[in-house]
Amino acid sequence: MKKSNPVVIVGGGPSGTAAAAMLGKYQIPSIIIDETSKIGGVIYRGPLRNTATLPHLDDNLQRAMSALRTRYEKHKSFIELKLQTRVLGPEGDQHLLLSEGGGLTTLEHNELILATGCHERSVPFPGWQLPGVMLLGGVQLQIKSGLVKPGSKMALLGTGPLLPLVACQLHKAGVDVVGVYEASAFNKLAKEAVALLHKPKLTLNGLSMMSYLKKHQILFHYGYGIVSAQGDKYLEQVSVAPYDDQWRPDRSQAKPLDVDAIGVGYGFVARTQLAMLLGIEHDYSKVSGYIPKLDDNYQSSQKNTYVVGDSSGLLGADAAICEGQIAALNIVHQRGLLDSATMEKERRKIERKHARIKRFRFGFDRFSARQTGLLDLPQDDTVVCRCEQATKKQLTDAIAEGVKDLTTLKMRTRIGMGDCQGKTCSSYALDLLHQAGHDKNTGVIKPRFPLDPIPFTFMEETLNEQV
Amino acid sequence: MNKYDVVIAGGGAVGAACAYFLSRDTDLKIALVDLKKSGNASRASAGGLWAIGESVGLGCGVIFFKTLSKLHSEAKGEEVPTMRPHQLPDCFFEFALKSNDMYPDLYEELRTKHDVDFKFERTGLKFIMYNREDELYADQIVSGIPHLSDQIRWLDAEQLKSEEPYVTPDAIGAIDFICDHQVNPYRLVEAYTEAARQNGVELFLNTEIQSVLKEGNRVVGLKTASGDLHCDTLVNATGAWANELYKQATGKDMPVYPVKGQIVLSERMPKIMNGCISTSDCYIAQKDNGEILIGSSTEEKGFDTTNSLDKIQELSRGAMKCLPILNESNIKRCWAGLRPGTPDELPILGKVSGVEGYLNACGHFRTGILTSAITGKLITELVTEQPTSIDLTPFNVSRFDNDPT
Repeated sequence: MKKSNPVVIVGGGPSGTAAAAMLGKYQIPSIIIDETSKIGGVIYRGPLRNTATLPHLDDNLQRAMSALRTRYEKHKSFIELKLQTRVLGPEGDQHLLLSEGGGLTTLEHNELILATGCHERSVPFPGWQLPGVMLLGGVQLQIKSGLVKPGSKMALLGTGPLLPLVACQLHKAGVDVVGVYEASAFNKLAKEAVALLHKPKLTLNGLSMMSYLKKHQILFHYGYGIVSAQGDKYLEQVSVAPYDDQWRPDRSQAKPLDVDAIGVGYGFVARTQLAMLLGIEHDYSKVSGYIPKLDDNYQSSQKNTYVVGDSSGLLGADAAICEGQIAALNIVHQRGLLDSATMEKERRKIERKHARIKRFRFGFDRFSARQTGLLDLPQDDTVVCRCEQATKKQLTDAIAEGVKDLTTLKMRTRIGMGDCQGKTCSSYALDLLHQAGHDKNTGVIKPRFPLDPIPFTFMEETLNEQV
Repeated sequence: MNKYDVVIAGGGAVGAACAYFLSRDTDLKIALVDLKKSGNASRASAGGLWAIGESVGLGCGVIFFKTLSKLHSEAKGEEVPTMRPHQLPDCFFEFALKSNDMYPDLYEELRTKHDVDFKFERTGLKFIMYNREDELYADQIVSGIPHLSDQIRWLDAEQLKSEEPYVTPDAIGAIDFICDHQVNPYRLVEAYTEAARQNGVELFLNTEIQSVLKEGNRVVGLKTASGDLHCDTLVNATGAWANELYKQATGKDMPVYPVKGQIVLSERMPKIMNGCISTSDCYIAQKDNGEILIGSSTEEKGFDTTNSLDKIQELSRGAMKCLPILNESNIKRCWAGLRPGTPDELPILGKVSGVEGYLNACGHFRTGILTSAITGKLITELVTEQPTSIDLTPFNVSRFDNDPT
């Protein structure tokens, strides 16, 4: 292999950028492909337009954003950015098909790093399709990248550390936050105190966010969650109720809240469509959904293809950086630019950091472990697959009629056959199948080429291969 | 012990149809075993019931056997060898047309008795002609099937324009096979399966078949991931994978192999097609939910089910030439399926000499959706030892006995 071949990195978030920077440190060129106009990923991309001040964004976030920028700037002579470029899928041997600049191109890869991140886990409930009902990450993206207020009077419902963070950011942005509803009980969090001490600084940050909320009289309710959303054309009201330890709402105690927008955040799912289309083997994990099988260097079942960051399992940005660096180190070693001893030494340093993050994170994963009560939020006629308008009853009927896997469920109900290719509905459908006891070979909504729709007119062009 | 009269291996269109007809017409105890494999042809299918179209090499067969127009354009002025449309033998016409005739009643029956709807639509299949060569080809097709002349309409450019206003004005006319229709293929499979379940068939879905159980020259059941399923008769309806099971049951090989077909699907569109279309480049069908389905390539690449841009471009260009309005739409999804091919393109049906308790219901190549109904009926007749509705001799596996391939 020629040493000058660039490593192809899909995704310019924390892990993809960290991998490129590490490769650059050893003078290995790389190409970062990102679908947006800026590197940083959803978490650190920042505003999509130029602005002088960002008073609603906290110092930690601004520091992390500039750290990512610095890592990139330092090695940018080795890093080529392909922004506003989408990967449509593999094309033949060792090539990716890209959509960029209004046409199709192919890009050859020897070493490939997938750092495609995650998407939000959609939880259907009555009224979830009303305008104004948003997922928590989407809410955050509006403040961070769109620089718009997602609503004027909002509630946040879900689980995990993103809830207080977004609540603070919304409040600083001038939104009236009427309440934050965490599904798990406080005593469950208290049990994770030891785990949380693995990252004392993060824990302190969390505590300071909680005191910020308290100071501004934003109520944080443990053991509470969503029941339904109501409104004529737009969201006008949500019902919240106490959740038991299975997250089953006590509907008798449900109370209405007048709001014009909500953020709902019951977790994320690894974004694995490209990895699956490449034929990489995956395993199921409760927290992250399907995740690729990887070795210690984040190399997948396909040689020279690595998967790092949240797309390899959800551990957040700090862990994603470590993973990108480890994969890159391995490539440096494979290319003969780093001896085994040095690489092991470097790797162990990063791994120790990664392990601490993991222990901290696992504490929150246990606290936020998804409970079966969520599955019963939708009523029989609630649409769970919005592309194809499949209802909960269609799914439960099919399962009662003997369907045991996602593919058959798809054939029976059209779930996952729409434009989103199952990104929105398949996690819910999978949980339903698992709850019914079908946890072997349950399958996936198979991602299909092309990963994003492409205009027919693109098919008339002849293809350019990039060198 | 799980003991059945009949165990059906494979729950695609053919296996599910066997389960449905057996459960409808007999009191036998039946089990259906299925595992969704990548490339499963029933799921990948376009759902055309193109009895005449497929029998004369149009529809799914059009790319396989080049039309005159294609040969002319590729010859670039050189002499073009005389060729006839690729027409299947009479026994296949009978098989396909008999099956086709069953659909209207089957549709009503499944809807009214079992509350399942496989979206049967009376569409016809139009072969669109762009030039004189296409017209000559259409002439040859029509003269090859004089006994079916009442099923064919000639449309001139004007008539075509009024019936299919979105077809390119460059088209000079069409022939329409009026008895060729369409269904939703996976709904058909699910409809058979659900109706069979309502009739008492035990479904072993998502269940891997591990091996065939034998006693001497008798097949006595299947070993599966859900335990042993004993039976008097095993029906092999495992599509492109049928030879694996056949080998275990008989100790011999039969020539069933995967023939890959890639498909392109558009986003949902308003209704732009009244009927299904075949051109010399591809077939095009608008499905019940508005998506336009364009197929399909014919490739022998083993069990590979990846998509490749060259084929997707070929199919898309063919469809855009016919329906310029596609220029305004997007490709939503592509996939590939594995047709269970045989050397003579005929299915392999019925008994195997020297082996008891085993029936073939495989090798349906590109017409498994269309011919699933008659196959279910024939298998039921064989299991109950009745005379069969059509002569099965040309479809018996023994036709390959002296074939070294």
